[in-house]
Amino acid sequence: MLIMIRSIVRPEKADAVLAALMDAGFPAATRMNVAGRGKQRGIKIGEVTYDEIPKVMIMTTVSDKDKDFVIKTIVEAARTGGKGNFGDGKIFVSPVDEMYTISSGVKESELSSIGEARP
Amino acid sequence: MKEILAVIRMNKMNQTKKALLGAGVPAFFAHEASGRGKGLVNAVVAEGAAKGYQEAAEVLGDKGKLFAKRVVSVVVTDDKVDPVVQALISANQTGNAGDGKIFILPVADSVRVRTGENGACSIE
Repeated sequence: MLIMIRSIVRPEKADAVLAALMDAGFPAATRMNVAGRGKQRGIKIGEVTYDEIPKVMIMTTVSDKDKDFVIKTIVEAARTGGKGNFGDGKIFVSPVDEMYTISSGVKESELSSIGEARP
Repeated sequence: MKEILAVIRMNKMNQTKKALLGAGVPAFFAHEASGRGKGLVNAVVAEGAAKGYQEAAEVLGDKGKLFAKRVVSVVVTDDKVDPVVQALISANQTGNAGDGKIFILPVADSVRVRTGENGACSIE
């Protein structure tokens, strides 16, 4: 069973998250620049409301046995301060039905090709 | 209904557009992204780094370098998943590491904004 983890994090924390994933043994990831707002409805500074706050989305696919470990790794790397702040982001987890590697054309069933948790 | 999410090389975008049209799927959306895979590299460079050549070690680096990629997203009905995946593979395959990955995710429903209709007829 494959799981896609899409995490939306602060742009300044994206490198920390990618480094943490690499150290944890999950090198494969894709990052995108996105913009959005959370349930705080953006940031209000004086009269101006900013409701398209720049964020980075990091997409990574793991097998379901590694799911909790990877989520913990991302949360620890992306959180600001001790307790965290509004705007630190969200993590979305969705199932992946099938996965193919284009270079070989092979349908992957096990995730050895993407990475697994280092003991 | 499935979403096909393909991470491909930047310079394969035109072939991919043609291939999707050939597979009967004109509608898709693409996003610029950067990414890294499991870190496979040119065999010559890896061999050089193992032998201790400084230049090769510098090329490899110690942390994953992010490469520019395109993410293509197509939502299709279940029966079109296989032809679209085959079209994407044949258009993007060079046989080298870095060709990309294709993910297939379940989609609960889709709605055409113009008419408000939902289900399979909204993506056909």
